[in-house]
Amino acid sequence: MVNLNTVPPRNNRDYYIAIGLEGSANKLGVGVIKCSRSAHMASGDNSHNCDVEILSNIRNTYVTPPGEGFLPRDTARHHRNWCVRIIKQALEEAEIKNPHLDIDVICFTRGPGMGAPLHSVAIAARTCSLLWDVPLVGVNHCVGHIEMGREITKAENPVVLYVSGGNTQVIAYSENRYRIFGETLDVAIGNCLDRFARTLKIPNAPSPGYNIEQLAKNCKNKDSLIELSYTVKGMDLSMSGILAYIDTLAKDLFRGNKKNRLLFDKETGEPKVTVEDLCYSLQENLFAMLVEITERAMAHVNATQVLIVGGVGSNTRLQEMMGQMCKDRANGKVHATDERFCIDNGVMIAQAGLLQYRMGDYVKDLSETVVTQKFRTDEVYVSWRE
Amino acid sequence: MILPQFPDYEINVSLYENVQNAADIQSRVAELPYAFIDANMICSVEQLTAAIYRTLMESTYNRLRTKTLHSEVLLALSPTSNIGEAFKKFGVKSTSERLIVVQINENGSQKIDDSLVQGDSVEFKDENLQSYCDVDAIRKVYKLDKSFQSNNTSDLSRALVDAIQLRGL
Amino acid sequence: MSQEIVDTVTKYLTPNIPIKQISQGAEAVVFTSSAHPYLPTPEHDADGKPLQYIIKYRPPKKYRHPIIDRQLTKHRTLSEARLLSKLFLIGGINVPKLIATDPYNGCLWLEFLGEDLPNNSGFSNLKNFLWANVNDPYNDVVKSTLIKVGEQIGLLHFNDFCHGDLTSSNIVLARDDTQSNDWKVFLIDFGLGSMSKLVEDKGVDLYVLERAIISTHSAFSDKYNEWIIEGFSNVYNKHGKGGETKLKEVLKRFSDVRMRGRKRTMIG
Repeated sequence: MVNLNTVPPRNNRDYYIAIGLEGSANKLGVGVIKCSRSAHMASGDNSHNCDVEILSNIRNTYVTPPGEGFLPRDTARHHRNWCVRIIKQALEEAEIKNPHLDIDVICFTRGPGMGAPLHSVAIAARTCSLLWDVPLVGVNHCVGHIEMGREITKAENPVVLYVSGGNTQVIAYSENRYRIFGETLDVAIGNCLDRFARTLKIPNAPSPGYNIEQLAKNCKNKDSLIELSYTVKGMDLSMSGILAYIDTLAKDLFRGNKKNRLLFDKETGEPKVTVEDLCYSLQENLFAMLVEITERAMAHVNATQVLIVGGVGSNTRLQEMMGQMCKDRANGKVHATDERFCIDNGVMIAQAGLLQYRMGDYVKDLSETVVTQKFRTDEVYVSWRE
Repeated sequence: MILPQFPDYEINVSLYENVQNAADIQSRVAELPYAFIDANMICSVEQLTAAIYRTLMESTYNRLRTKTLHSEVLLALSPTSNIGEAFKKFGVKSTSERLIVVQINENGSQKIDDSLVQGDSVEFKDENLQSYCDVDAIRKVYKLDKSFQSNNTSDLSRALVDAIQLRGL
Repeated sequence: MSQEIVDTVTKYLTPNIPIKQISQGAEAVVFTSSAHPYLPTPEHDADGKPLQYIIKYRPPKKYRHPIIDRQLTKHRTLSEARLLSKLFLIGGINVPKLIATDPYNGCLWLEFLGEDLPNNSGFSNLKNFLWANVNDPYNDVVKSTLIKVGEQIGLLHFNDFCHGDLTSSNIVLARDDTQSNDWKVFLIDFGLGSMSKLVEDKGVDLYVLERAIISTHSAFSDKYNEWIIEGFSNVYNKHGKGGETKLKEVLKRFSDVRMRGRKRTMIG
């Protein structure tokens, strides 16, 4: 039996307030949520239906110039520079005057992600905890995405496709774990798109993936495709070969390498494909692979719902393809959130952290707050679900 | 005979023994609207009908490699995509004493001209085919490895049906 | 399943071929039919009952680009057909007979194997068979059948093929002849199968089956898995020193995979 009211709110309130700090990659996010302690939470499987109220959701993204990625050192510096300002802004917007009285728990990302940025944010979290005398909870970033997605969409037991810059996983819940069904064997989907965007020298704002999506939409010749390999291996997939290949094509296209017959007409030397065509083909190919492994997982666990989370999850073409797949399955339904919750944010860390906190699982000693770059989704014991 | 998936085609198959005029037929193969097959190379009904099925499938999707359905049947029987070789291995030889005649009619019913083959017509069925098929020659043409032991005709036939389905794909 | 798929397949097969759906996976829909695609006279089993045939159909996936879809469907249909044909040529491996292959429409016709078990125990796959014997879980027929299961997998692996989705539902039992109690063991569904020399793939195959047995027949799984490995080892041990060395490698990796836990331990 799951009792989400194990730990009462502080100061005899009838609601919880949690603050979440996220900084595992190039986004620094702070969010504050409020969640009532209603009686129905004391039993049953209700972790997807907590009546969460979002008091604030502030994010600042470290944007690099076109053609450049974000390095851990610089990203960490960005997070350190902005951390205090963002936390203050989040508290202000949430109208929290006395954090030491009003906040029940401080949640921060313990991993996975880039070491230095994670570390910067963890230090901020520890400082706040000592300053305000508020308990800490270290949260798995992926679980944060999943719990936020479930809360927003009210999807009770979906197969989760988690697609972001650092992760590509198909996840299904079973026996208190979010088990990984399939995942990338090499690079993550978001990383793949980011690196391709870098080759194309397209802007990193608002995000490289978004810009690729827009270019793909403008592809004039959607009837034909540039042939890319389709590398689904059982439930896993591999993308590094595809990336290497399309990267070479893009470079040949820019350099005007007329020897490449695939790109340039043999007689006239005119280019046959455009950057838009490349983006379109890449998306169609990669997303088809993602949808396929998701469908395999659904068939395996007999699930009808899919939840897409992570930054790449805000891509409308991916959502559309997933929707089509679900439509063709009996009673299938796809859940996706918009960019506010798809892209890394503090609210999701607060949500997952608060669930964990309410089950009585919080940091008892600061030595438990060491961040970890490698933190698999299935390592977390999900006490808040049946 | 009609294959359920291709109801527009009517297929006639006749089997002859003690054929007298093989050389004459061989010289006129190109002009006669039939497929003539050396029956020694056929060990079962399914071997031939699988090839006919493949022929009609390729025809339906406009993937015929030869000019007529009848020559395509010979190609379909062959484990390689060489048309000349297929005729040499499976087609009527001047010395053939046992012949299978196949006629495929699209949207129409014609019969095989009885006077064409001078020989004894027997029923086209497994027992008759098995009694005189040349297992060694068949194994050689289909390049079956020695490690594959076909103790009975049905195992042999199954290997041939597999080869027929997958040729060139 | 959506009616649309049934409509598409009926249109393609024509109404002359009656179909009945028996399962839908992520990739393929499986039907049975009483019609044979090209035999002029119907076939019968030893009891004189007309034979059934399996039609495995990979429907077009609308979510993916038609070009990708066509290529994949063709590629996968063919690779499964090729695998079945290669496995048949290896002595001793039992796989369903390939009857017809249509790579353009993603359709395979296969021999129907198995039967309904007595007392409403369901279709004669390994999973249901073990359930049907739950009251006498260690009887001789169970033992000899599981050893045969191991032998089938052993033969598959020894010849450098991997199944890719070796669950107890993908192992089908068919009677040797109608009189005897003995079962002949068949491996089915090679949709994820491949030629592979990698011990990793073989270890995962064994692990996936072990998990399947544990999750559905946990009380007897120790003995069951032991018998399977006994049969598996028999095959390798027939091939002298070389075989024994290979066996050790596979079993070593199998226990490694078990230790680290295959990340996708979700079965059934």
